[in-house]
Amino acid sequence: MIEISKLSKVFANDSGAPVLGEVDLSIAPNEFVVLLGRSGCGKTTLLNLIAGLETPSGGELRVNGKKVTGPGAGKGMVFQQGALFPWLTAKANIAFAAINRGMKKDAADALALELLALVGLAAAADKYPFELSGGMQQRVAIARALALDPEILLMDEPFGALDEITRNEMQDELLRVWAQRRKTVVFVTHSIWEDLILADRVLVMAPRPGRFVLERRIDLPRPRRRSDPTLVALYDEIWSHLHGGQV
Amino acid sequence: MSPRAQTWLVPAAVLAAFLGIWEFAADQGWLRPIQFPPPSRLADSFIDLATRGFPQGITLWTHAGITIARILAGHILAVMLAIPLGILIGSYPLLDRATSPLVAFCRSIATLSLLPLALVWFGTGEASKIFLIGYGCFWVMLSATIGAVKLVDPVLIRAARTMDTPQAEIFRRVILPAAAPRLMSGARVALGVGFMVIVGAEMIGTIRGLGSLIMEARTFYRTDITMVGMLCIGAFGLAITTAMAKLEAWLIPWQARVEGQPK
Repeated sequence: MIEISKLSKVFANDSGAPVLGEVDLSIAPNEFVVLLGRSGCGKTTLLNLIAGLETPSGGELRVNGKKVTGPGAGKGMVFQQGALFPWLTAKANIAFAAINRGMKKDAADALALELLALVGLAAAADKYPFELSGGMQQRVAIARALALDPEILLMDEPFGALDEITRNEMQDELLRVWAQRRKTVVFVTHSIWEDLILADRVLVMAPRPGRFVLERRIDLPRPRRRSDPTLVALYDEIWSHLHGGQV
Repeated sequence: MSPRAQTWLVPAAVLAAFLGIWEFAADQGWLRPIQFPPPSRLADSFIDLATRGFPQGITLWTHAGITIARILAGHILAVMLAIPLGILIGSYPLLDRATSPLVAFCRSIATLSLLPLALVWFGTGEASKIFLIGYGCFWVMLSATIGAVKLVDPVLIRAARTMDTPQAEIFRRVILPAAAPRLMSGARVALGVGFMVIVGAEMIGTIRGLGSLIMEARTFYRTDITMVGMLCIGAFGLAITTAMAKLEAWLIPWQARVEGQPK
């Protein structure tokens, strides 16, 4: 359960409008929420605030009733570029988090292998990130974020750097993993189709100050087909908000 | 001829031609032996130094061993001090701003100008030599470490923070390995400085070491010995730097692919 009220963020030495205005948002457990918008609309800032990587300039941010004071503690994060440690193998990257939690190396390795199998990369355990394709790196990054068994999974344009085919595969993959390990997901993207395929709820954001301009529930079962008329209609509606004069 | 043979043969042929012209010019009397002893004379001196030594009894190998031990002692001490200090300075922008003039200042002082001070502080024994080498290496290594830490991709540190990594562990398990490739190249540059400083450091208070061999030969007008000593320093410097590059490739196998690869 994530509760946000009147949350805002102004960066120091930034004279313009706040990056994030006063926003309110409530996210239910196991909900898949997608934040959508063009660059500079504050979607990544909002994600970083929830992650505890940034401190709010104003307002309240609570996870399960507790004020967020810093990163970690039940909030796994996947970054756009994977942010895997290049000096560690896929297995060691995933075990890294578990070792922080005081887990013995053997147990951490076993957990890492289990998670690698979950994301379909059991064979890549001993490979270094540079030996893996972009899609495979993001699978490892997802497995790593799951290693602390977080309640919340925060994803910052995780498939943004992938080609479209790999990206579509990764979306299916994420939904498959999510079906097995139910988490609250907050997912940032600038791809309209991505949110239509993934989200329970879409929040379209606009910049200066960062704010929500459209909110839509998508109650269709998954996997979803892009040709679904509901999605096509939603696509047009979201597009008009992103592109048209209503922003 | 295979490309691999070409990469060796061509430079070797150039070197042989150079030595041949030098020998010929000396033979014709165009070059004075006291200024430019011919290669054949250098070869004789080398054998003489390697077997009988100069001064009598101290062979080239003893000189070289002592010199390398001094360089490594100074270098290792400098690196061991510079890495933790550099990580600290590089991690805190305020500390970096506060210390950067001092670092630039100390780095700019030619190490050998400290020789008189080193003698006053540490006497004429080993300590003053190791201090001078260490001083030269330290500032180079410190600057390299600070730079390496500042260039660590911040997203790696953010990722570590989202995984509940305590700050001390972030230094040890994230910043140190992320900076490792640049630390290794810094250590190589620092070692080069050590080789540059050694001759001066060995000028006073010793008759052992390649630096003292070179200086000692000068007083006897033995240009040939000076040249052999110089060549030895160059050869050992090259050998150790190459060995470090190999060690680097073995220690950080991910490095070659990380640098220069689009992210």
